[in-house]
Amino acid sequence: MLRPQLLVQSSRTAARRLYSSRASQSLLTCTRFTPRAAVSLPALKRPNFSCIQTRGYADAAKFTRTKPHMNIGTIGHVDHGKTTLTAAITKVLAGKGGAKFTDYAEIDKAPEEKARGITINSAHVEYETDNRHYGHIDCPGHADYIKNMITGAAQMDGGIIVVSATDGQMPQTREHLLLARQVGIKRLVVFINKVDMVSDPEMLELVDMEMRDLLSTYNFDGEETPIIMGSALAALEGRDPEIGENKINELVKACDSWLELPPRDLEKPFLMPVEDVFSISGRGTVATGRVERGVITKGSDVEVIGLGANFKTTLTGVEMFRKELDRGEAGDNMGALLRGVKREQLRRGMVIVAPGSMKAVKKFQAQIYILTKEEGGRYTPFMENYRPQVYLRTADITVSLHWPEGTDNAAEKMVMPGDNVEMVCDLVHEAAAELGTRFTLREGGKTIGTGLVTKLL
Amino acid sequence: MIFLRSPRHVPQVFGHAFRSFSSSSPSFTKADIKLVAELRKRTEVSLSKAKEALTETNNDVGAALEWLEKDLIASGAKKKEKVQDRIASEGLIGVSVLSNGLSTQNAGRGVRAAMVELNCETDFVSRNRLFGELLDDIAHTAAFISDFDAYRTIADSKAFLDERLLPAPLLSARDPSRKPTTEVGGAVDALIAKVGEKILLSRAVSISHPLPPPQSSVALHLASYLHGSVTGGLTSQGRIGALALLALKSSHLPTVTESPTFSEDIEKLQRALARQIVGFETLSVKGDGEIALYNQPFMMFAGSDQPVGTVLEQWATGKGLVEPGEQGSGLEVLEFAKWSVGGGGVISGEKVG
Repeated sequence: MLRPQLLVQSSRTAARRLYSSRASQSLLTCTRFTPRAAVSLPALKRPNFSCIQTRGYADAAKFTRTKPHMNIGTIGHVDHGKTTLTAAITKVLAGKGGAKFTDYAEIDKAPEEKARGITINSAHVEYETDNRHYGHIDCPGHADYIKNMITGAAQMDGGIIVVSATDGQMPQTREHLLLARQVGIKRLVVFINKVDMVSDPEMLELVDMEMRDLLSTYNFDGEETPIIMGSALAALEGRDPEIGENKINELVKACDSWLELPPRDLEKPFLMPVEDVFSISGRGTVATGRVERGVITKGSDVEVIGLGANFKTTLTGVEMFRKELDRGEAGDNMGALLRGVKREQLRRGMVIVAPGSMKAVKKFQAQIYILTKEEGGRYTPFMENYRPQVYLRTADITVSLHWPEGTDNAAEKMVMPGDNVEMVCDLVHEAAAELGTRFTLREGGKTIGTGLVTKLL
Repeated sequence: MIFLRSPRHVPQVFGHAFRSFSSSSPSFTKADIKLVAELRKRTEVSLSKAKEALTETNNDVGAALEWLEKDLIASGAKKKEKVQDRIASEGLIGVSVLSNGLSTQNAGRGVRAAMVELNCETDFVSRNRLFGELLDDIAHTAAFISDFDAYRTIADSKAFLDERLLPAPLLSARDPSRKPTTEVGGAVDALIAKVGEKILLSRAVSISHPLPPPQSSVALHLASYLHGSVTGGLTSQGRIGALALLALKSSHLPTVTESPTFSEDIEKLQRALARQIVGFETLSVKGDGEIALYNQPFMMFAGSDQPVGTVLEQWATGKGLVEPGEQGSGLEVLEFAKWSVGGGGVISGEKVG
């Protein structure tokens, strides 16, 4: 039992390693080599990765990455059984071959990790249901999670709120929901834990109702959100299946059906940042870059935007490894031959996109994390009107930072290294950006911060 | 209202919903579920506590509230023992400045302020309203009970925390007329009972000086700044806090401070000084290197690249506090305390003469 699993893991690690080394070749577009990007890896099936598949781990079949991947997080009070629930999920699913049982001690490394400054270890726990593959994240704190989200180290696409039936929701449950809201989670599943410790069914009803009320207060769907009542401990100890194992299965099913999958890179509209431009005599102008998302076929209409450019053209050729191809897709380093475009019209920093799928903006609001000096960032604070460089995909543009309108005492507010702040970014030139676009802030050749676009202005 | 939901949300196993129990049941009282909900709304106590309170008091909400008030402190104290080994490294620093020495009249006022740190386990709790209000009230209480019968300086005092602050009745910062119902220590325990995390009042400093005599040539001022306040939260709380004591010395003090713009100007300068202390690695007021406040470029004062010490001199001369060539007068930072959540901090400075 143990050996095949180990093998599987090593093949996965290899794939991940390959993928990330590939991604890091173009560091400036590195915004998404998060675990999600790595594991949703469509590239596994492609010919240049065949080396992995031909290694011939027969037992690996059930672990292939054919199922859509999603990152899910548990949020809840420290004593309400988040870790027990996580362990219980892996135990129940391990029984079906969908996970490796990860026990409490293995998951709950939090105290030591906290002491070492590691707060979120996203690659810790994974499991598979009939329809999906999940990466499981524990979310220990607000600021920690926001920082990890901005830097791309952790990402929750959906969440499980854990509430103990004995306590009901706590005052800080509001803050848990606020965080989920703030990071863009639209749907949650609620697990009411420790129901075996409450004998009065009316109390359970009250927990259910209060939770639905609170969900609605914070703009979640209080009516439809699945609330599952069970005991994670019972599932973990393998007793009372009607509140244990069955409820875990119910919870997992609710996650499968209620939580929405994030769109996969391949399904998104085509986008390729321009890294370099060549003029090839007799053929025309070729832009090279790594396709960030989507698929493009020869002959498609495309749009070039950013740095003042805004024109439509046709992709007349896709080239990779000096060979002509019919299509390019997310992850490819390709050359795009564009009809009727002069070399001077294209510059590094522009993007080639599916027509109408994206706009160039000069001003946006972003959630920004400023690196501490230990992380290689600034030593000193800065005030409004600070002007670093923003590196957005391949674009390198001067930006000035301001407080959002209506901020009290904006002229006297400072930002210190280590802060998470929401600021307005005023670009000198326009760049293609949308909600969720990541960027880095640099000054004098060193990275001082990283950000995530939250609002286009 | 919340009971008017479609039945499909009621777990099927518990089909016998909404049984009502008479509150005057002779043998034993079962907590009325609606009252439990109401009690929870009003006090944010845990479900089992709300139920217990109503069972104990025969479903009398008024009595249950009283019962809870006493019980929260007791059960909080019990919980405190249970969680004492856990790490409480999150939290906030709160400052209360009851009097910063500035006055619209030229007479000036005394100074009275305190800074406290309240810790918890996760920042979900420190972002909660209950936590923020308690911290505000504790800072307010600490500033209030700080006594100036003796000579005082900003000093981290374990004795002040343990002997004076924790047993002091908790005053409300928002509503000073409200009667204290519990002491500071009890209020902390009650919060433990509500949020179920370790809550710790880890340190406190206070400072107070009496009103200077009229026509005095010395006036004391307080500057404070808190960095990293929670969005939408109180500006008197943050993850890094500084409290600094300044002295104005001048034989022309009453005339200078009479100027209508003076208090606005000096407040602006004080805020910049407090930000400077927080924003830069500041370990002392004077001394060698840029860890000394006076040697740092005063970036927080309109982006100045002049050292703080020089800027203060120029400012004092510009305001007419100092006659050219005069010694021993002007504006001086006497001492400051700077803390960051989780234990770091500096308390330094010269003694007030």
